[in-house]
Amino acid sequence: MYACKFYIKIPRKNKNYFITSRRLTQVRWSRYNAQYLEPEVNRELLQKSWDELSEEEKAEQELKAVRPIKAAPSNVTSSVFSDPMISKFTNMMMRDGNKVLARSLMAQTLEAIKRKQLEKYHQAPEHEKDKIECNPYVIFHEALKNCQPVIGLCSITRGGKTYQVPVPLTDNRKRFLAMKWLITECRENKHRRTLMPEKLSQELLQAFHNEGAIIKKKHVLHKMAESNRAYAHFRWW
Amino acid sequence: RDAQSSAEGSRAVFRTAESDPANHGELHEGRHYNIALQEVRAVFPHGLPSPFQQQIKTFNEASVMVRKPALELLTYLKSSSFANPVIRYVIYGEKGTGKTMTLCHVVHYCARQGWLVLHVPDAHLWVKNCRQLMQSSYKKDRLDQPLQASSWLKNFKITNEHFLKEIKTQRKYMWGKRECTEEGRPLGEVVEQGLARVRDASDAVGVVLRELKQQSGLGAFRLLVAVDGVNALWGRTTLRKEDKSPVSPEELTLVHNLRKMMVNDWNGGAVVTTLSQTGSLFKPSSAYLPHELLGK
Repeated sequence: MYACKFYIKIPRKNKNYFITSRRLTQVRWSRYNAQYLEPEVNRELLQKSWDELSEEEKAEQELKAVRPIKAAPSNVTSSVFSDPMISKFTNMMMRDGNKVLARSLMAQTLEAIKRKQLEKYHQAPEHEKDKIECNPYVIFHEALKNCQPVIGLCSITRGGKTYQVPVPLTDNRKRFLAMKWLITECRENKHRRTLMPEKLSQELLQAFHNEGAIIKKKHVLHKMAESNRAYAHFRWW
Repeated sequence: RDAQSSAEGSRAVFRTAESDPANHGELHEGRHYNIALQEVRAVFPHGLPSPFQQQIKTFNEASVMVRKPALELLTYLKSSSFANPVIRYVIYGEKGTGKTMTLCHVVHYCARQGWLVLHVPDAHLWVKNCRQLMQSSYKKDRLDQPLQASSWLKNFKITNEHFLKEIKTQRKYMWGKRECTEEGRPLGEVVEQGLARVRDASDAVGVVLRELKQQSGLGAFRLLVAVDGVNALWGRTTLRKEDKSPVSPEELTLVHNLRKMMVNDWNGGAVVTTLSQTGSLFKPSSAYLPHELLGK
């Protein structure tokens, strides 16, 4: 990262550049040039025959014949068990590079969710058994979707005063905020002796049912954005 | 729905409907049988390992696998004559192979057959992590463990309620200077005394063990002594006295009395024990053979 003096980070088309007082400097860059394409990890696409592909997919496959392809990173696999959202969440939970611990915590969380749901399933009467969701991956995705805010706030300074302006969020930013809120909530607001998997599983199940502290936080953000509607014209992008 | 029922049908290969351990034979080997939850609470208040208890909570059923060593033990128990001195069995093996579950299977069988079961869930708990060590009032150089003894007495009461009323004491026992239990009183009173006055709990345990050992030979009932982690009784302890000198296992009342039960000078029952490295002290994690863990 290069040091520079600035008021706000302007989301431009090419996000890897910061505006400094003089010129543009590269912040995050990769050794691959622009020609390189991402590797194809999705198995189902490879099993389709040529005729089943849509027009864009056919164009992509033809491009791959002439362009070089980047090497696949070690945390990306074609296995049925790999899930990009879960990997992202594990990376965000990781501290000091201890991926082993983060991964085991994630596995224990999913196991805890499954156990709790199975307990409820086995003790529920027959007509209610269909409504109980036992798949921890489905619960995880649904909970994250429920935690994502629709609109965000950005601080913009005009005439010496800083205003909180409602601003649309990109998909990536929404996902990031949901995961960040979950992790900070589980790290800070728990009893000293409860372990992370237990607290995380509790929060995920609550978010799945649209209850809990993170959903409340999302609603508070929405209300602030609604109340600051008057400043929406300060946004210029 | 169809997928679920066909999956259940294929999983039925792994289960068996025979829930009485006495009828388990070679054709049930490798299959799981269910124990009713009320029986689990009555027979195993403290005996099952904690991962298994979690499984019971999750699936709302206790299904135990019928293992070959358990079947072997059951045939020995069925065919041994109880007039001879007790045979002591030791179950050993590597970590995670099912020693404690084999022991629980045998305990369930004996409970079904009406034996008196003396189940010590983990002898390692008696030689480590003890907050309150008291000097014994009975013998000067021994140490008491009130907490462990009282919790064991509570669980013992749950398993063997009906026996406690029938067995009578054969001697008069003095608790301290004023209280005493007369000769001929039911054993339940000794247990109550141990539970009511926690200071006498370890001595109450000793009394119970002594009475059972003497009376099992008479033939009114059969006694099963099931101890998990028996290598704790002959190892080292992590406990220290107030002057920071280490405590050896003989100085603990509970361990001393249990060791007396292990000697085969009584008849009318069986002693089934398990070696365990998991809770053991000062032993490397790759040790599982009897010679390595018991040290004799």
